[in-house]
Amino acid sequence: MVAFFRGKLAFTLKVILLSIISALLILLALSAFGQKQYVIGIFIILVVFGANFTYLTKVSIPLKFFYPGLIFLLGFVVAPIVFTLTMSTYNYKTGNYIGKTEAITQIQKLAIEPDASGSTFDIIVGKYNGSESAILASDTVKKQYFIATYKERFDLNAADLKLNQYQVATQAPNFTALADSELAGADKLLSTSRFFYTSEYFVALEGFDVGALYRQKLNFLSERDAFQNISTGAIYEDNGKGNYANLDLPTEILEPGWRAPIWFENYSKLFLDPKVREPLIRVFIWTIVFAVSSVLTSFAFGLLLALALNKPIRGRRIYRSILILPYAMPSVMSILIWGGMFNTEFGAINQLLGTNIAWFQSVTFARVAVIVVNLWLGFPYFYLVSSGALQAIPSELNEAAAIDGATPRQIFSKITLPLLLRILSPLLIASFAFNFNNFNLIYLLTGGGPKSTLDGDIAGATDILISYTYQIAFGSFTQDLGLASAISVVIFLLVASISLYGIRKSKVLESFV
Amino acid sequence: MKWLRENLWRHVVGIFMVLFAIFPLYLVVISSINPSGSLQVTSFIPRELSWKNYQMLFNDPTIPYLTWMKNSLVISVTVAFLSVVISASSAFAFSRLKFKGKKSGIQLLLLIQMFPAILALSAVYVIMERVAVFAPHFGLGTQPGLLLVYLGGAMGVNIWLLKGFVDSIPAELDEAAKIDGASAMQTYWLIFVPLAAPVLAVVSLLSFIGTFNEFILARLFLVDMGSRTIAVGLQGFIGGQYSQNWGPFAAGSLIASVPIVAIFLSLQKYIISGLTAGSVKG
Repeated sequence: MVAFFRGKLAFTLKVILLSIISALLILLALSAFGQKQYVIGIFIILVVFGANFTYLTKVSIPLKFFYPGLIFLLGFVVAPIVFTLTMSTYNYKTGNYIGKTEAITQIQKLAIEPDASGSTFDIIVGKYNGSESAILASDTVKKQYFIATYKERFDLNAADLKLNQYQVATQAPNFTALADSELAGADKLLSTSRFFYTSEYFVALEGFDVGALYRQKLNFLSERDAFQNISTGAIYEDNGKGNYANLDLPTEILEPGWRAPIWFENYSKLFLDPKVREPLIRVFIWTIVFAVSSVLTSFAFGLLLALALNKPIRGRRIYRSILILPYAMPSVMSILIWGGMFNTEFGAINQLLGTNIAWFQSVTFARVAVIVVNLWLGFPYFYLVSSGALQAIPSELNEAAAIDGATPRQIFSKITLPLLLRILSPLLIASFAFNFNNFNLIYLLTGGGPKSTLDGDIAGATDILISYTYQIAFGSFTQDLGLASAISVVIFLLVASISLYGIRKSKVLESFV
Repeated sequence: MKWLRENLWRHVVGIFMVLFAIFPLYLVVISSINPSGSLQVTSFIPRELSWKNYQMLFNDPTIPYLTWMKNSLVISVTVAFLSVVISASSAFAFSRLKFKGKKSGIQLLLLIQMFPAILALSAVYVIMERVAVFAPHFGLGTQPGLLLVYLGGAMGVNIWLLKGFVDSIPAELDEAAKIDGASAMQTYWLIFVPLAAPVLAVVSLLSFIGTFNEFILARLFLVDMGSRTIAVGLQGFIGGQYSQNWGPFAAGSLIASVPIVAIFLSLQKYIISGLTAGSVKG
């Protein structure tokens, strides 16, 4: 065995393995470059260089052990965090999701208007002179016929054409119609094609046999980086926030915009924009109330149990193995089960209580339900840790107090509880931090509701910060990744400072280093 | 009388909490064998026993339950295995090797870990969306993509668990090996891994439970009915239609929970010692 790790065979195997992995990753990087994903491509290349450097030299022995974990950590934890920080300084939402060049193309494509009389033509799609894409257009009212390619228009005389009974041209010289099978393949191309009419107007297809006259409403002035409206002359300039906005009327912007750096605007919105601030404050208060009351109720019930079962009474083992079950169940399943139990018409809770409460439609009842379910999920944990902590308290203390004439109640409140709190306070803080971000519970039980979306408000009564952030990023009509990222960063700062405080108290870190 | 005064309240508290703990679970069991399959409980004591809900789960083509279960198992087993392979060597280095920046490395890891994974969700989403452009098999909407993201998160979590366990393995053996001229790599493979094998097994089982339970990333990544995990599948199945699908759902969640509960109970000792180290189960 030892020889194996020293031998040439092991070295050869290592080199072969490393080469295979490197080759695969370089291929991946090349295809990333091919699709213009430069940052990811460069990351993969660096990973390859780093791997070869680490495992073929002896620069750092510890790095050989860290390398694979480090790469995953960098790629899927650190990079997303950095990216979140970056996104939080961008205007990055529905309507501002693409890059700027793409946005300009989109605006040009969308900014067209029909001509004043709304002219339409009957169209046959085909080729001009056998190769150029073209249309044969007929205006049966004005008896106007022409062939249009992308660049030119050729007016035709009705006499040269073959017309059907509706006076629509079906055949023309130098023009060959596309067969139906060819049409299907050209569908996508044709829907974006513009056929020449005049230098201002063009014919765009609306289906395979109808076309209408349009003109470009907005012109892109590349030297000014601005759009100009052809009829009104209004100028739309880059407003520095990811949109072209009308110079005279800044609120009038062109769609779509692009993602653009707006620095701290997402953050300042959190405090200054009442539309963002008010729901946020409401959600924040409920988050605190929810986390605190979850921790307190779970701790109280867990401690009570631990005290009750702290003596070898009959059946203690049975109690214990049943009490641990809620903690052992996969929490996703338990939450969904509770969701069914709180159902208004058929749920077991209403049946048991003999009531008919619409639990998730009322603010108060929904909040009570959330806390009850979280109590169910959380009390076994506190029962287990409190039992452990109770056993860690030396019994001499209690005995000494009893000899001095203290009542059991006094012993509990003056000796046991303060000691317990001291032992368990880091766990209480950790539990607070966990519940602060207890996304699954809220999302699966109430979905954040009840909520009234009438005024576009997406914050529900049981939404906590993290589920609200999720709603902002993924759930609502406008998905605002920039704002969601800004809130994420704020939550991180809050949770990190709470946890750091807890860790400093527990001195976990010292024992680890 | 003395017995009553001293112990009665203990049993009252115990029985009350046991009823509270067991009620939902009991309800799921009786719902799963209730032939009507509805959410409505006509009686809290089952009168009739039927396997209809279970049969529906396995035979109804609109509920790919077995596929979901298979997906969950494949993903969780892979993550459990790979994440331990990846993090064991890092934990070994943190625990046994001396190098510059060790302390700040651990502190940095701790800080990174405090950034709740859900918060970086939108970033993960956008990044994987871009990966999907050039590598469709690893991007958004694929199981391998989800695996990669899980493995990234595993490092931080597992290192904390592992390092605690690893520190408790006596260092004399690998010091002796070092004196005999073994390199760090040799010490790791020939001394450390065999010694730590039981610990590694425990950590990988914990990681299995954690992955099996994971919902939100899986939900974001796995859109196709056939690629979903059991948690996402059952949530989609029950979502908003409690009254209709309750019976099969109860049966399905029961089957899915049994292995997890079994693993959990058999690992009780380790989990509880891990609890006091300050880790909270998700």
